Amino acid sequence: MKIERRELIAAGGLAAFAAGFSQTLGRMADSVVGKSTGEKRLHGHSAEPEYQVDVATGEVRLNPNQQVSYTGCLGCTTLCGVRVRIDKRTGNVIRVTGNPYNPLSTEPHLPMNVSFKESLAALSRYQDKGLAGRSTACGRGNAALDQINSPFRVLTPLKRVGPRNSGKWEPISFEQLIEEVVEGGDLFGEGYVDGLRALRDLETPIDPGNPALGPKVNQVGHIVSVNDGRDLLGRRFWQNAYGTLNYVGHGSYCGGSWRSGSGALFGDHRGMPHGKPDLANAEFVLFIGTAPGNAGNPFKRTGAMLAQGRADGRLEYVVIDPALTNADNRAAGEQGRWVPIRPGTDGALLLGMMRWLLENDRVNRAYLSYPTLKAAQAHGEPSFTTASWLVVTEPGHPRYGRYLRGSMMGLDIGDAEAFGDKDPYLAVDAQGNIQPVDAIQGEARLQVDMQVDVKGQALRVRTGFELLTDSIRSKTIAEYADECGIPVEVVEGLADKFSSHGRKACAVAHGGMMSGSGFYNAYSVVTLNALIGNLNWKGGFVMNGGGFRDASPGPRYDLVNFPGKIQPKGIPLGRNVPYERTNEFRKKKEQGQAYPAQDGWFPGAPGLATEWFASTFHGYPYSLKALILWMANPLYGIPGLRERFGKDLADPSKLPLIISIDPLINESNAFADYIVPDSLMYEGWGWTSAWNGVPTKSMTARWPVIEPRQAKTADGQPVSMESFVFALAKAMDLPGFGKEGLRDADGRPVPLEKAEDWYFRGGANIAYLGAKPVGDATDEDIAMSGVDKLLPGLKAALKEDEWRKVAMLYSRGGRYEQPSGAQDAENPQWQNHRFKASLWVWSEHIGGARNAVTGKHYPGCASWSRPAFLDGTPMREVYPEQDWPFLLISFKSALQNSYSIATRITGLHPENPVIVHPEDAAPLGLKNGSKARLQTPNGMMECTVLVHAGVMRGVIAVEHGYGHRELGARSHVMGDKTQPDRSDLKAGVNLNDLGIVDPTRSSRSPWVDAVSGAAVRQGLPGRLMAA
Amino acid sequence: MNPQIVETVNVAREVAWLPWAVQYFFLIGISYGAFLLSLPGLVWRKPQWKSISHLALAVALICGLSAPVALLADLHQPGRFLNFYLHFNPSSWMAWGAWFIPIYVGGLLLYSWLAWRPMLAQHGRDGGRYARLAGLLAYGGHESPSALKMAALITAVGAVLVALYTGAEVMVVAARPLWNTPWLPVQFVVTALAGALGMVLLFNRMLSSPDRRTVRTVSRLLAWTQLLALFVGASWLLLGLSGWSEVHSMALAQVAPADNWRLLAVWAVLATVVTFLLAWKRPGSGLLIGLLALHSTWMMRWSIFMGGQEVPKTGAGYYSYQLPMGPEGLLGIIGTLGLWIFLFIALTSLLPLNRLAGSESH
Amino acid sequence: MSFPCRPSVRSREDRPDAGRRMFLRGIPVVTAAAAAMPAPAIAGNGGKHRWAMLVDIRKCIGCQACTVACIQENAVPEGSFRTVVSTYSVSVTDSGQPAGTYVLPRLCNHCDNPPCVPVCPVGATFKQDDGIVVVDGDRCVGCAYCVQACPYDARFINHETGKADKCTFCAHRLEVGLLPACVETCVGGARIFGDLNDPDGELNRLLAENREHLKVLKPEAGTSPQVFYIGLDESFQGKVVGEAALWKPRHAAV
Ligand SMILES: Nc1nc2c(c(=O)[nH]1)N[C@H]1C(S)=C(S)[C@@H](COP(=O)(O)OP(=O)(O)OC[C@H]3O[C@@H](n4cnc5c(=O)[nH]c(N)nc54)[C@H](O)[C@@H]3O)O[C@H]1N2
Ligand SMILES: Nc1nc2c(c(=O)[nH]1)N[C@H]1C(S)=C(S)[C@@H](COP(=O)(O)OP(=O)(O)OC[C@H]3O[C@@H](n4cnc5c(=O)[nH]c(N)nc54)[C@H](O)[C@@H]3O)O[C@H]1N2
Ligand code: SF4
Ligand code: SF4
Ligand code: SF4
Ligand code: SF4
Ligand code: SF4
Ligand SMILES: [Mo]
Repeated sequence: MKIERRELIAAGGLAAFAAGFSQTLGRMADSVVGKSTGEKRLHGHSAEPEYQVDVATGEVRLNPNQQVSYTGCLGCTTLCGVRVRIDKRTGNVIRVTGNPYNPLSTEPHLPMNVSFKESLAALSRYQDKGLAGRSTACGRGNAALDQINSPFRVLTPLKRVGPRNSGKWEPISFEQLIEEVVEGGDLFGEGYVDGLRALRDLETPIDPGNPALGPKVNQVGHIVSVNDGRDLLGRRFWQNAYGTLNYVGHGSYCGGSWRSGSGALFGDHRGMPHGKPDLANAEFVLFIGTAPGNAGNPFKRTGAMLAQGRADGRLEYVVIDPALTNADNRAAGEQGRWVPIRPGTDGALLLGMMRWLLENDRVNRAYLSYPTLKAAQAHGEPSFTTASWLVVTEPGHPRYGRYLRGSMMGLDIGDAEAFGDKDPYLAVDAQGNIQPVDAIQGEARLQVDMQVDVKGQALRVRTGFELLTDSIRSKTIAEYADECGIPVEVVEGLADKFSSHGRKACAVAHGGMMSGSGFYNAYSVVTLNALIGNLNWKGGFVMNGGGFRDASPGPRYDLVNFPGKIQPKGIPLGRNVPYERTNEFRKKKEQGQAYPAQDGWFPGAPGLATEWFASTFHGYPYSLKALILWMANPLYGIPGLRERFGKDLADPSKLPLIISIDPLINESNAFADYIVPDSLMYEGWGWTSAWNGVPTKSMTARWPVIEPRQAKTADGQPVSMESFVFALAKAMDLPGFGKEGLRDADGRPVPLEKAEDWYFRGGANIAYLGAKPVGDATDEDIAMSGVDKLLPGLKAALKEDEWRKVAMLYSRGGRYEQPSGAQDAENPQWQNHRFKASLWVWSEHIGGARNAVTGKHYPGCASWSRPAFLDGTPMREVYPEQDWPFLLISFKSALQNSYSIATRITGLHPENPVIVHPEDAAPLGLKNGSKARLQTPNGMMECTVLVHAGVMRGVIAVEHGYGHRELGARSHVMGDKTQPDRSDLKAGVNLNDLGIVDPTRSSRSPWVDAVSGAAVRQGLPGRLMAA
Repeated sequence: MNPQIVETVNVAREVAWLPWAVQYFFLIGISYGAFLLSLPGLVWRKPQWKSISHLALAVALICGLSAPVALLADLHQPGRFLNFYLHFNPSSWMAWGAWFIPIYVGGLLLYSWLAWRPMLAQHGRDGGRYARLAGLLAYGGHESPSALKMAALITAVGAVLVALYTGAEVMVVAARPLWNTPWLPVQFVVTALAGALGMVLLFNRMLSSPDRRTVRTVSRLLAWTQLLALFVGASWLLLGLSGWSEVHSMALAQVAPADNWRLLAVWAVLATVVTFLLAWKRPGSGLLIGLLALHSTWMMRWSIFMGGQEVPKTGAGYYSYQLPMGPEGLLGIIGTLGLWIFLFIALTSLLPLNRLAGSESH
Repeated sequence: MSFPCRPSVRSREDRPDAGRRMFLRGIPVVTAAAAAMPAPAIAGNGGKHRWAMLVDIRKCIGCQACTVACIQENAVPEGSFRTVVSTYSVSVTDSGQPAGTYVLPRLCNHCDNPPCVPVCPVGATFKQDDGIVVVDGDRCVGCAYCVQACPYDARFINHETGKADKCTFCAHRLEVGLLPACVETCVGGARIFGDLNDPDGELNRLLAENREHLKVLKPEAGTSPQVFYIGLDESFQGKVVGEAALWKPRHAAV
C-alpha cells in the first residue's frame, strides 16, 4: 500500500513536470521539426523593403511582391495624404507613411511634375534626400491600418435582433436591406415603421399650422462626421435628390464655438472661415485652447512646423491651456511656454491683453482705420476691418446694433434693396464727414461717437472700434487677470510680446473654446489678431489655400446641377436661424410678448447636431422619423447626450428608424436598426482638401488601393455609402442619379450608377481647374503607382483627353499647388490666397440679434462674461464652487482619436488616468495611481488619477479617446458569430459621460454655448472623491 | 530646485529571466552546498558525519539533476542548447557554465554511484520492490575508495566552478546595479549552504526515526551560515550607505525608495535572525529551521532575480511583476517541483532514506 | 542631479521692456548645455559605412509614429517595443512654469562598446563592421543574457521567434538604399540618420554643427553609444528618478 502511494505521488510529480515543461518540450520539438517561421537570419520578421534605390545613381527598383500607392489617411480629421505599402500576395497593408507630394505630410512638398518613380527616390537615402524631404504618417496614422482586418468590422448589412442597443444582429442581404429601409413595414415585430419612400413627402407640411417648418421629408435627418471626400455625394443624395433640409456634420461638437466666433469676425456664419498662423514664417504664436503637436488640425503639419521653428530658434510660442500637453517640450526650453488658465476664461485674458495694447499704444490704429480693401492695399495692408464703420447704438431703435447704412441717411441707392449688399456702409473721413466707406481713400476716423439725423430722428452712432474699446475697458487688467487666473505681469507680458513682432505674430484657438463662454472667447482671439493687422501677412494669420473643387459645375462635368434638383426648405431641426423668423415669434409678438421663445435659437451657427436630440425628443420645432448616422458618433462625442437621451434613442416609438453607415459599431450606431457597412480608409474613394493650415491649394485623392473587405452587391460593387445611396436612388427613382444622373460640360448626360462615375468625373474637374490643366500620367507612373488597376474604369468613364490627367492625380495621390504658391509673387510679404472681405470688429449679425430666451441683445464684439447657461445664468450661480470645487476639461489624446482604440497604439497607452494637481490631490488623500470617483451634477464615474503639476489647480483634465463602450469594448453577436472579448478596450473614462444638461432649459438639452450652440465640454463643474 | 518627474507614457519591459532561473539557482546552489556536506562523511569518513553526508548526497543529486532541466526551460530556444557547445564564446560566463554544469553533474552522478554501490547491492540482496533494479545498478557493489576520491575531486572542482560561474554570471551584469556587487557571489554561496543544510534537516525529518545528533550538528552549522549572511548583508548595507563603494551605493539607491523592497529587506533580516536564534537556541526544532532556511534561500534568489528585473534600467519607478499562472510562472514552478518529487521517489525507491542515513539499524 | 537654467540663446536683455517679458524667461529648462561636457565619442571607422542616429529632442512631439512604424515594419509582437518615446511631466519648484513636458525617444544605441555582445554564450549577438549590433537568429538560444546586460533596456525576447530582438537600425532597409522606418516617418523630424563615414552627409553636418550640445545616454556606462542626442537633460540621461507610468503592459500570450 505504502509503496503504491509513493508511486502515485511519483506519477503525479511526472505529470506536473510534463505540464510545467510542456512549453519547453514543445519548443524543443519545434526546433527539431524545424517549424519554419519565415525569418531572416539578422532581420527576423521584418518586412521586405518595398523598393530599392541605388544610392550612387538614385535608380529605383520596385519589389514585385509589393505595391506602393498614394492615397488618404482617415486616422483623424487631418486627412493627410499617405503612401500605402501593400503585400500583393495577401492584399494586406504592411505599413503607411507620408505622400511626398502632399503638404499635410511633407514640408516642402514635391511638385507634381516629379514622376512617381522620382518621388520614391526622394524618400530614400540617395543624397540624404529622404531626410529633408521626409514625408510622414503620425503614430495613429501608422496604427490605423489595424482596423482594416479588425475582428470588429461590420462586413455585411446588419439588422438588429431584439431591442435597440442589445448587441445582437442578424446579417442580411443588401437587397433585403434596401427593400426594408425603402418600403418599411413591420420590420421588427414591433409595429409598422415608415420606410424612406413614405417619409419622402416633399409636399405635406410637417405642421399644417406652421408651414414654415417645411415638408415632412425634413423629418429624415442625417449626421455625418467630417467630409472625408465623399460628403458632396452624400449631400447630393440626401438634400438635393431625397430632399431633406436636415443634413449636418459634427462641427457643433468639434470646434463649433471657435468656428462661430471666427465666423463673426470674418462675417460669414455659414462657411465660418478661420485662419491659422503661418508657422513656417511666424516669430510668435499664441495657442489659446489648441495644442499644436498634441492634437490640432492639421495635426502633423502643425507639429512638424512647430518642431522646426522652435529648434531653429525662429519661433517662440506660448500655449494657454488648463492642461499641459505635448505642445510643450522642455528640451526646446524658452522657445515654447505653457501658461495654465482657468477653463472658459480666455475672454478675460484676451480683453486684458487688448486693454494693455490700447493703453500702450500697441494697437495698429492706422491699419484699423482703412475702411475698405482698396484703401488698405493702397497703404500696404493686405486686409481691412470694419473698425471705422458706424454702428447704430441708439437704444430701442430697430436697427440697434447694426451698421448705419446709406439708405438711412437718405443716400440715393438706386433700385438696390435697403440694407442689402449695395446699400453702403458709412464712416467718418479724416475731414469729419460721414461718407460711404468706398468713398474714403485713406484713413477713416476710428473714434466717433455722434448723433446723426435719420428721418428727423437723432440717432447715436459710434464706430465699431469705440464699441470694442468700451467692451475692453469694462474691467481693469487686474480684474481680468483675476478672472482667468493668470498673473497681471503675464497678461501684460503676453500683450507686449504679441505686439513686438510686427505682423509675424498670431493667436489661434480651437477645442479650448468649447466652454460656456466659447463664442466670445473665440471672437476675442480673432479680434486680437485684427488689432495688430496680421491677416494675410506672411508669418501672420493666414488663410487656407483651399482645394480644387471636384463637385462643382466644373470645367468637364457638372456635378452640382441636375434636372429635378431639390433645394430643401424649412426651419432646420437645430434651430440655427433667428427666432424672429419663426411663426412662434410672430404669434407671440402679436400677443404682445415676443420673448421668451420656448427654447433657444442660434442665429450665428451652422447645423447643430448638438441641438438635434433635444429638438427631436421634445418635438420643438419638430421630431424626426428617421435618423441616418454616417461615420458619426454623437453619443460618444457630445457631452451629456448619452445620459440625457440614451433611453429615448433606444425607444423606437420616439424615433422609429435609425440607419447607420459605418464600418464599425460605435457608441451611437449600437442603437441603430440597420447598419450598412462602409469602406474603411484605404478601401474608399473621395477627394479631400486640407481642412486648414495649408497655404497652397491641395486636393487629396482617396481611392481603393486595397480591395474593400465588405460584402459586394449583386452587381459587384462593395457595399458602402455609395452603393447604398445609388440603390436607394434607384429604388425610389430619384433625380440626379442613374443612367443619366450626371452631365458633361456640354450638357450631355452620363451615368451616375457607381462610385467611379462620380469620383473619376470629379477628378476630371480637378485636373482641368485653374490656369492650366495638370499634365498626363506616363505609362510608367501608371504602372508603378498601382493606378493601372483603375485604367479600365478611367477609360470607360472619361474622355480620351481626360483619363491620363485623372490617372496623373491618382498616381500623385491628388493635385497640389507648387509650394511657392504660398506667397504672392508680386508682394512676397503677402500671402497668395488672401481673405479679401472685411473683418467685422463689430458683428452686426450678432450685435443686431437677440437671445431668443431672454430677448436681450447679444454683444456685437469681443467681450468677456463668465460661462453661462442659455438664459444667461452664470454656471457658478447654479453650481457654486463650494459644492463643485473643480472645473473639468478634456483634451485630445496625443495618440488616440475617438475610434483608434483597437489598434496597436493603444498598447502603448491603454488608458487615460485623469490628471489632478498635486495640491488638489493631497487634501483628498489621492496619490498617483489612486482610484477615485469623479462627479458632475449629471453623473458619476470611477477613475484612476494621475497626479502631476501639468494641470491648473482646481482643474481636472481628461484625455479624450478612452472610456469606450463599443468599437471592440463590447462583443456583439452577428448571426452565429460572436466578436472577440476585448473588454480591456473599455479602459479609462470619457468625460462626455458626465456632460451636464442646461438646468435653465425645459428641454434639458446638453449644455451648449448660448450663441454658437456648440457643445460645452470645457469647464464642467465637478467633484472628486477618493474611491 | 528639484525636478519632480512623473512618467506619463513609457513601456514596461517584461522580465526576461523567468522564475525558471530562480529555480535553477536555488536547486544548483542547494546541490553544490549539499555536495560539500557529503564530503566529511563519505570522503574523509568522519563517522559522526556519515548520516548527514549520505542524506546530503541525496539532496545534492536530486537537486543537481533537476536544476539543469529548469535552466533549459529558461531558454526560449531550448532545442538549440547544443549551440552552447558548437559556438563557444569565452567572454561569456554563461558559455563557461555550459561546460561546468556537465562536469559537476557528471562528477556528482559518478561520485554518488561510487558512494552508494554497496548500499544498492545490499538493497538488491535484501529484496523488495525495485530490489532487482538496485542490484543491477550496483553493478557488483564493491567499495572503491580511491575512485570515490577521484570522483569527489572532479565533482568538487565542478562544484567550485559552478558556484563561481553562477555568481559571476550575475555579478558581471553592470546594467543591473543590484546584481553588480562583489558581495553577490558570496551571498549566493552562503545562502546555498544554508539551503543545503535546511534540506538535509528536511530529509532527516523524513526518516522513520530522525537522528537527533544530525539535527544538532546541522542546526549549529546553519546558525553559522545565518550569522555569516547577516554579516554579509550588513556590510552590503554599510558599503551602500557609506558611499565607499559606488556599485553598492547604486544598488542601494535603486531599491531603497521602493516600499516593497524595504519590506523585503526587513523580512529577510527578521527571517535570518529568527533562523539564527532558533538554530542556536533550539537546535532541536529541526524541521522548522530547515524550512526557514530553505525559504530564505529561495527568497534571496527570487528577490534578486525577479525583483532585480523589476527595476527599469532607464525608466522611472519600478515595473511590477505578477507571477503568471502558466508554464512561464506558477505551473513551471510546480513542474520543477514535480520533477524533484519524482527524482526523490525514484532515488528513495532504490535507496530508501532510512537505509541511506544508516538509521535502519537504530 | 541638477536641473539648471539654460542661458538664453539670444540675449534680448538689452531691450527696454525686457523686464515685463521676464515671465518668458528663466523657467528652468532641460538641456544643460551649461558646463562643457566632453562630447561623446563618435565612432567612425575605416569601413564602408558606420551608421549612427542623431535625435534632436527639441523637435520631438511625442507622437509615437516612430514607435508604431517600427512595430509594423519589423513585426514586433504586441507588448514589445524596439523603440519608444518616453514621455514625462516635469515640474521644478520655484519656477515660472509649473510643469513641462519632456519626451525622449529611446532605441538601441548600437554601442561601439556594447555590453550585450560579450555576454552572449553562443556569439549570436555581434557588432557588424558598419557598427550595427545585430542578433544572429540562426544561432541565438534565447537565453536573454544579453537582455540583462544591455544598460538601456533596448532588448527583449521576441515571443514569436523565441530569440533576442532589438532595433537593427532597419538594416534590411539600409541595404537597399532606404531609411529606417522610424526615421522615415518621424513627424517632428527629430530622428536624423546617416553614415559617419560620409563626410558630406547630413548626419555629419549636424553632428559637427551641434558638437557642444551632443550627449548620449548613460555615458558613464562606457558603452560609447552611437545614438546621439541634442537637448538631452542630465535628469534623463540615466535611470529617471520619478514616478512610473501608470499602466501595465499588454503582452501577447507568452
Ligand atoms: N492626436 C489627435 N489629434 C487630433 C485629433 C485627435 O483625436 N487626436 N482630432 C482632430 C480634430 S477632430 C480636431 S477638432 C483637432 C482639435 O485640436 P485642438 O483644438 O488642438 O485639441 P483639443 O484637445 O480639442 O483642445 C485644445 C486644448 O484646449 C484645452 N482647453 C480646454 N479648456 C480650455 C479653456 O477653457 N481654455 C483654453 N485656453 N484651453 C482649454 C485642452 O486642454 C486642450 O489641450 O485635433 C485634430 N487632431
Ligand atoms: N470630451 C470630448 N468630446 C469630444 C472631443 C473632445 O476632445 N473631448 N472632440 C470632439 C471633436 S473635435 C470631434 S471632431 C468629435 C468627433 O465625433 P464624430 O465626428 O461624431 O465621430 P468620430 O468619433 O470621430 O468617428 C465617427 C465614426 O466613424 C467611423 N469610421 C472610422 N473610420 C472610418 C472610415 O474609414 N470610413 C467610414 N465610413 N467610417 C469610419 C467610426 O465608426 C467612428 O466611430 O468629437 C467631439 N467630442
Ligand atoms: S494626422 Fe491624422 S490623418 Fe494625418 S497621418 Fe495622423 S492620423 Fe492620419
Ligand atoms: S543599447 Fe543595449 S542592445 Fe544596443 S548595443 Fe548597446 S548594449 Fe547592446
Ligand atoms: S538571447 Fe540570444 S543573443 Fe542574447 S545572449 Fe542569449 S543567445 Fe545571445
Ligand atoms: S531603426 Fe528600425 S528597428 Fe530601429 S527603432 Fe527605428 S524602425 Fe525600429
Ligand atoms: S516620430 Fe519623431 S516626433 Fe514623433 S515621437 Fe517619434 S521621434 Fe518624436
Ligand atoms: Mo474635431
